[in-house]
Amino acid sequence: MKKVYCQIEKCLACRSCELACAAAHSESKDIVGALQEKEMPRSRVRVEFIDEKGTLQRVRAVAVQCRHCEEPLCEQACISGGIHRDEETGDIVVRLDKCVGCWSCIMVCPVGAIVKNENMHQALKCDFCPDLETPACIVACPTGALVYCEPEEMAKEQL
Amino acid sequence: MNILIIGNSAAGTAAIESIRKHDRQSSITQLSDEAQPLYSRCLLTYYLSGSIDREKLLYREEGFHKKMGVDLHTGPGFRVVDLNPAQRRVTCDNGRTFYYDKLLIATGASPKVPDNLPFDKGIFVLRHLADVEEIKQYLRDVGAKRAVVSGGGLVGIKSAAALNECGLHTTLAISSQQVLSQVLDYDAAQIIGRQLRENNIEILQPAGITEIISRDNRLKGVKTDQGRELDCDVLIVAKGVAPNVRLAKAAGIGVRRGIVIDSFMQTDHENIYAAGDVAEAFDMAIEDYTINALWTCAVQQGRIAGLNMAGKKTSYNDIISMNSFNVYDISIISFGVTSPKDESEYSVLTLNQAERNIYKKIVIDRDNHIKGIILLGKIASAGVLLSLIQRRVDVSVFKDELLSDKFNYGTLVKYGVEKE
Ligand SMILES: Cc1cc2nc3c(=O)[nH]c(=O)nc-3n(C[C@H](O)[C@H](O)[C@H](O)COP(=O)(O)OP(=O)(O)OC[C@H]3O[C@@H](n4cnc5c(N)ncnc54)[C@H](O)[C@@H]3O)c2cc1C
Ligand code: SF4
Repeated sequence: MKKVYCQIEKCLACRSCELACAAAHSESKDIVGALQEKEMPRSRVRVEFIDEKGTLQRVRAVAVQCRHCEEPLCEQACISGGIHRDEETGDIVVRLDKCVGCWSCIMVCPVGAIVKNENMHQALKCDFCPDLETPACIVACPTGALVYCEPEEMAKEQL
Repeated sequence: MNILIIGNSAAGTAAIESIRKHDRQSSITQLSDEAQPLYSRCLLTYYLSGSIDREKLLYREEGFHKKMGVDLHTGPGFRVVDLNPAQRRVTCDNGRTFYYDKLLIATGASPKVPDNLPFDKGIFVLRHLADVEEIKQYLRDVGAKRAVVSGGGLVGIKSAAALNECGLHTTLAISSQQVLSQVLDYDAAQIIGRQLRENNIEILQPAGITEIISRDNRLKGVKTDQGRELDCDVLIVAKGVAPNVRLAKAAGIGVRRGIVIDSFMQTDHENIYAAGDVAEAFDMAIEDYTINALWTCAVQQGRIAGLNMAGKKTSYNDIISMNSFNVYDISIISFGVTSPKDESEYSVLTLNQAERNIYKKIVIDRDNHIKGIILLGKIASAGVLLSLIQRRVDVSVFKDELLSDKFNYGTLVKYGVEKE
C-alpha cells in the first residue's frame, strides 16, 4: 500500500504541503477561496521542526501526517467505531458521520497525526486526497522531499 | 476449534476481529444477555442528551457478526449462569448449553449501588442502553425539571452534563474532595469543577446522599450528609463499577477483585481467557495488578486475548489507564499515575495556566520513565507522549521540552528516539 514519506534531508520547512493540504480539503479547493471560507480549512500535515532556526546552518524539519499504520492504534481506541480500514484501498479513514470528537485517537496516535476540527468536534487526518490523482502535498512539495510510494520503494531509496 | 465469547461489547468485539485476522476456520459463538445490537457504551450519555441518535450508537456496521462468521445469541435468556471448566461447557438462563475449546470471559462490569437504595421510580444507574431508554422515557413522562447525579467520576460527569443539556437543573454530589479523583490531580480537577459550575451544574462536595425522599414510590428529593435537602425528579447513581466475576468465581477461576489474567490475557485455566472491565491485569504504570475499566483498555486486552486464542502467542505488557474526554469546551487526556502518593519519589513537571483552562503534568520516575500524564486544554502531543511511556523511553535528555507546546514527533526525531 502506497504511503506518504518525508525525506528529512530534502525538507526546507517551507510549509507548501500544509497550504496545499488545507486548500485541497476546503470547499473551494484553492488557497485564496479557502481563506475566505467560514470555517478555516485545516491542514492534516504538519511541518515539525527538528532543530529550531538558528541552531544549524539549515533548519531541519519533518512533515508529519497519518502513516496508515498496519495496526492502527486510532482505530482500536475509537469509541464510536468511526475509524476503520477501507477494504478496497487499505487506507485508514475517519467516518465523520460517526465521530463524536472524544479525541481518543489523539490520545494514542504515536505521531500526532490527528487534527482537531474545533468547530465540528470531528477528527481530521490525511486521507491521501481521494479526489485527486496524487495527494496535494506531494504535488506542492518543491524539493521532492515528500514522496508517495510503496514502503519497499522507500526502503530502496534510502540504501 | 470452538471459540466461545461471553459478552458483546468492547473486549468481545476486539477479540473477534483479531481472531478473524488469523483464523477463518474456527467456529465463534458469542453470548450476551443484552438484547441490543452491538453499541458503544461510551456514547450512551451522548444519546441521553440527544446529541446523537440511536443509530449512531452502533459500534460496528449492521451485519458485522455475520461477516465475521459469529454465531451470536443475545437477550436475557442467554445470560450465562453456569460455567463448568472440567466439561468445557456453559449453561444459559434459558437452559441452552454451549461447549468450547477456548473461552473468553468479557462480561464487563456493573454499577455499584448502595445496599439500602430503594426501588423508587426516578432512581437510575447508567450502564446499558436499556437504562438510558428508561431514563429518557421517565424524563418525558414526569416532565422532569431537576436532577441529582451522585458520583464525580467519568460516568457521573458525563451524565450530569447530558441531563443539563436536556434542560434539567442538575446537581452533582461528590463524596470525595474533587471530581475525577481516579483520573486527575487536585489542581486539574479544580479547573474541571469550575467549568462544570460555569455551565450551570451545581457541585456539592464532599457530599454523600444519605436519604431518599419519595412519595407514592416516586422520587421527590434527596438528603445529603451535610443535612441539605434537594428537590429532584431523577437521581442517577454513578458510584463506580464492580467487575462481573460471579460466574468465574463459582467456576473456580482465579479472582481477586477482577479475574486475574497474565500478559497473554489468560486466566489460571489454560483455555480460558478474560479481558476488559472484568479482568485484573498487570499495569505498567502502577506496577501492580489492577482493573482498568476503560473502553480502550478493554479493546487492547480483547485484541490480545483474540490473538492468543487464535494461536498467535502474543504477550502484552503495556497496559496503562488512558482517558480522553471533554468537559464542555475543555479536552482532557490522562495516562497512568497522575497523583503519586509520594511525590518525592518522582520528578513532577507541571504547567498550570488555570485561568486559561490549560494544565499539564508529567510524572517521571527515578529511572527517567514517564509514569503518568495529565493534559488539559492542550492535548495535541498526547499520543507521542504515550508512545514514550509504553516504549519505556529514558526521557532525561529532553525532559525540559516535554511540557512545551512545541513538543511533538519532530522532537523525538531530534533526539533520535524516532529515526524517520
Ligand atoms: C456512560 C458511560 C460512558 C463511558 N465513557 C467512556 C469513555 O469515554 N472512555 C472510556 O475509555 N471508557 C468509557 N466508559 C467505560 C467503557 O464503556 C467500559 O470500559 C467498556 O464498555 C468495557 O467493555 P467490556 O467489553 O469489558 O464490558 P462491558 O461493556 O461491560 O460489556 C459486557 C457485556 O457482557 C454482558 N454480560 C455480563 N455478564 C453476562 C453473562 N453472565 N452472560 C451473558 N452476558 C453477560 C453485559 O450485559 C454486557 O453487555 C464509559 C462507560 C459508561 C457506562
Ligand atoms: S492516525 Fe495515527 S494511529 Fe491512526 S493510522 Fe494514522 S498514524 Fe496510525
